[in-house]
Formats: sequence, structure tokens, C-alpha cells
Amino acid sequence: MTHLPSLHMLDRIDARNPTPLYAQIASRMRLAIAAGELTAGDGLPSVRQLAARLRINPATVVQAYRALEAEGFVEMRHGAGTFVHDVAPGKKAHERKTAARRLIRELLTEGGRMGISPQELAAVLRDELNGGSQ
Amino acid sequence: MFRVILATQWKWTRGALLIATCAAFALPLLSIRNASTALEEMNARDLLAIMNTIGMAYGLTAGSIGLVIAAMAWTPDHAGRHVYALALPLARWKYVAMRFAAGALTLTAPVIALWIGGVVAIASIQIPAGLHSHAAALTIRFALATLVAYATFFAISSGTKRTAGLILSTLAGALILELVGEALNLPLRPFFLFVDFVMNWSGTLGVFNGPWMLIDV
Amino acid sequence: MTDAIRMRALCYRAGSHFDISDLSLTVPAGAVYGFLGPNGSGKTTTIRLLLGLLRARHGEIEVLGRSIPRDVAATLARIGYVPERPHIYPSLTVAEAMRFHAAFHARWDGAWAAELAATFLLRGDARVGTLSKGEMGKLMMLLALAQRPELLVLDEPTDGLDPVVRRDMLESVLGYVAEHGATVFISSHLVHELERICDWVGVMDRGRLVAELPMQLFKDGIKRVRITGATAEVSGAPFVLLKRERGQGTAEEWIVRGWKAGMESYIEGSGAVVREVIDLDLEDGFVEMLRAARVPQAKEA
Repeated sequence: MTHLPSLHMLDRIDARNPTPLYAQIASRMRLAIAAGELTAGDGLPSVRQLAARLRINPATVVQAYRALEAEGFVEMRHGAGTFVHDVAPGKKAHERKTAARRLIRELLTEGGRMGISPQELAAVLRDELNGGSQ
Repeated sequence: MFRVILATQWKWTRGALLIATCAAFALPLLSIRNASTALEEMNARDLLAIMNTIGMAYGLTAGSIGLVIAAMAWTPDHAGRHVYALALPLARWKYVAMRFAAGALTLTAPVIALWIGGVVAIASIQIPAGLHSHAAALTIRFALATLVAYATFFAISSGTKRTAGLILSTLAGALILELVGEALNLPLRPFFLFVDFVMNWSGTLGVFNGPWMLIDV
Repeated sequence: MTDAIRMRALCYRAGSHFDISDLSLTVPAGAVYGFLGPNGSGKTTTIRLLLGLLRARHGEIEVLGRSIPRDVAATLARIGYVPERPHIYPSLTVAEAMRFHAAFHARWDGAWAAELAATFLLRGDARVGTLSKGEMGKLMMLLALAQRPELLVLDEPTDGLDPVVRRDMLESVLGYVAEHGATVFISSHLVHELERICDWVGVMDRGRLVAELPMQLFKDGIKRVRITGATAEVSGAPFVLLKRERGQGTAEEWIVRGWKAGMESYIEGSGAVVREVIDLDLEDGFVEMLRAARVPQAKEA
């Protein structure tokens, strides 16, 4: 059973981003698994399906799936497809934390470029978390 | 492979073939119609003279049919600069040979039509004593002439448009020169010389030279 | 067979604009090779040479392990070709065109051809001559794919087509490649499209192959470097300096190719300071590379 929702989450894949395409796909899938969007036993889109849908090289999809397999998130069953592995909760939490750190780093860098200090960012973040003023 | 080539050949030339077939069928009947007076009077000499004059029409028709079918066979390829045919996975000569064979096959229609027309025409009249009908021989000559004309123009057309154009315009130029020479009474006979040479040197084209007599001695 | 296409030292006189001289090109088997270059750079001529439609003056061409033009007829059976300009007989209907093409290709997949015709919304009874540009492109792609080739040679297949048609065509090509592991040689000047699908790239400019390398290296390697206090002369750099723009004071902006992490130290070794290393959009990088290829002074000494 292939999860079609997982296809649309990959629409943000950007060839212009310096991160290689396969890495972008792999990290998005990893996060989906960590966040529970994809659960153990779910089938990932076939290489053919994903390559055609995203209009990217099939080898790129294979590379992404292999990377995920190497990290223990999925298993590629020859002839049947690629399926989500039963990933330990601790591992999922670690993945979410890594993704969060990446997000924060981007935020800090971007803020720095715009001339906003980390302290100002932290203050606004606290504000938003408390319900937000405007 | 031959089947699809024949199918496209038919599609491209079926209009012209229809006209050619009707013309070929009508020719013997028209010959008879033209000689109606001579036949009524059972005038053998006049009849032969008329048959001789009309004979030219057979030759011309054969040549025209051959030319048209050959040209039409190649027009679509020319339009695309032969790219499609050259990109097909078979040797060029095989492709050309199949096209030639397909065209030649379609020419059987007007040839058979001529024969039937001849038979029908002869059956409808009474031939003067001493003369005989030569419908079969006429048909064979017609078939050969059509084939020769087809082959000649097929060869010319199978090259690039430029080569074909060059050859045809040279012939046209020679013809014009000759007509001009005739008009001005100058001894310019390039076209005639060329035709004469080709007809007599190559026995094949000589087929156009002979008698085209439906009824003869 | 490790290479789908190998061209060595190819020479051809293309016309008054340029010659193809000493062209050497390699397309690994199973790759999706993007053949980039501006209009008139010789891409179509190169494609015609590798298909045996044109004859080179010197050099060797090997396609799918066979020598061209010697074994061209047999090899063409394994190559699906979509030319720049439509080449199918316009007076045939779509169905007749498919039948015609099928008769010459032993590996024709009739079921898939019918499926593609339905996907592409091509009516069997429509005359080829009356098809729109997009429909014609799709038909040519259909014929090339249903042949089930080992190598697809696509000459600007999506040029001038609307985004929907482009997407449909690319999807069918990529689906085929995923399933059958075919090699794709696709020429285009639409850099953004090729960026996603190609794992190799060859850049052509005025009859010469200016660069040939894996797409990722090409993308990674082109950077915009902001520097202050650079020396006037740059020699022996580990990267290729494509362009040098002076800014305020001692500030400069360099466009470089072949950049790898750690190369800042080379620049700093000469006393300059690297302020920033910015990734360049593939299209911009491509443009700069071509500009540099045309103006000798821009290259590093």
C-alpha cells in the first residue's frame, strides 16, 4: 500500500538548493517517518512513480532510498518495493531534533543576514509560543 | 515492412492511380471511336493510318503515368528531407528497393485497365480482313514503357531535391533551347539529339519508339 | 558495454558559422546525459552525426558498442530518436504512423503504445499534419518510447511546448528509464529542466565541448566568491576563474568553476580575505561559463 500523501510533501524539492536532490528527498522521508506521517509497514512510492511525479532522475530516487535503508529507516525488498522499517522511538526523536536544529540554524543565519540578533529572535519566539501578540 | 510501405504508397498515389486507370481504360475505346468512319467503310489503309497517329497517345500516357507515380512516391520523403526514412533501422538501398517495388506493383492497375479496354474495344467492332488486333502486345509494350518511365523518374527523384531539380531543369533547358532554335531556324537540336541518343543507345527506352498499334497487319 | 555513446576527435564542417573540431564526448550507459548549449552551438549537428545522418570528416563514433556509420542500420533499431523538427509523414493518420513505425521495430510494444496514446490524448484518426506542436511532440515521443530502445536521443524535445505537455513527456521518459534502465541523451537550452533529471552534463559552445562532468559536480562547483584585497594576478589556482568583477574599494566578486571546500585557504594564502561563498544558480553558472569560454581574458592565466 503506497501512501499518496507522501508524494505531495516532496513538492518542495528544489534543484537549485545546494543540497543534493537525493539528500533532500531522504531527509524529508526521514522526517515523515519520525513525525509519524509514515508508519512501519507503509510502502513508499515506487522509484518509477516518484521519479516521474517529481520529474527527476530515477537514479536519484534510488540513491535516496538506499541512504534511508543504510540509516535503518526503510527496507528495500527486491521486486516488492520499499517499506518503512519499524524505527525505535528514540531514533525518531533524534531525527526530529536534528531537523529542528537545522531549522533553527537556518533561522539564525537568515536573521543574521537581515540584521536581527539572536536575542531578538528568541524574544519573538517566546512571545509566539505564549500565544502571540500580533 | 513492405506491407506498410505499400500501404503508404497506395495512400499517397491512389488519386493519381484512379485517373491513370480510367485513362488507360478509355484509350483503346477512344482509338476505336476515332476510327469509326474508317471501320464503317472497312477501309484498312485509313484505319492503319489513324491507329498510327493515335499510337503516340499511348506512349505519352505511359510516360506520364510513370512520371507522376514516381514523383508522388517521393514527395513526402522530400518534404521531410528524408530524415525519417534515414533514421529507420534498415539499409538505405533496402528502403529504396521496397518503395520501388511498391510503386511498380500499383502500376499493374492501369496496365490491366488498358488490356481490358483493348479487349472490350475490339469486341465491339469488326476488323477489316487482313488486319489483326494486338491488344495483348500493345498492353505489354504499354506496361514496359510505364515501368521504364517510372524507373527513370524514380531514380531521379530518390536523390536530393537539388539533384532531381538539377536534372529536370537541365532537360527543360535543353528542350527550350531546341524550341527556340526551331523558331529562329538555327541548327540547335540539343534536346532531340539527347533523346535520340538515349532512345537508341539504351535499348530500354527504345520501347517508346516502336509502333503503338491496337490494330495492325 | 560501459558507454552508450563514445565520440573521439570528431571533425565536421557544419557551415559558415563554425566547425566541429576534435569533439570527444562520452555518455555512460544508464545515464541521463544533458547536452547543454546555446542555439547554434552544434548540438543538433552532433546528434545527427551520432545517428549516422551526417558523415564526419575524421574521428570515431561508437554507439551502444557499434561503430557508426558502419553498423548504423542495426544500431538504429535500438535507438529512439526525437528530432528537433517533426519528421513523420504529415499525410498519415496517427494510427497509420504508429503502424508504420511499428513495422520497422521488432521490440515495439503495441499495448504500451496504445496506453501512451491515451495518456497523451492523441486521436488515432487525426492526420499528423493537423496536429498541434505539442501533440506532434508527444507523438514523436510515443514512437520513440514504444520502440523500447536502449538509448533515447532527444533533440530539444520540449522546446516551445507548454508546461503541461513538457511535464507529460518528461514523466513518460523518466518512467521508462526507471523501469528499463535505458540511457538518455537529451539536448536542450532549458537548463532548469535538465537540472532535475540529468546526472551528467556536457556543455557545447560553438562546435566545442566546453565541459563534461557529473551534474552534481557541475552544480556544486560553480560559486560566487566575495573577496577583499585580492592580488591583481591570479595564477595556479585550483579552480577556474570565470569572471572577475570589481566592487567598492578592494572588494571583488569572482565567479569560479570547480570550487571545492577548503579552497578559501588558497585565496587567503595570497593575503586576500574571503567574505562569502555563494552557490550559483545552474542557469547563471552556465551563462557565466559560456561567457568565459568566449572571452579569453576572463580565464585564469
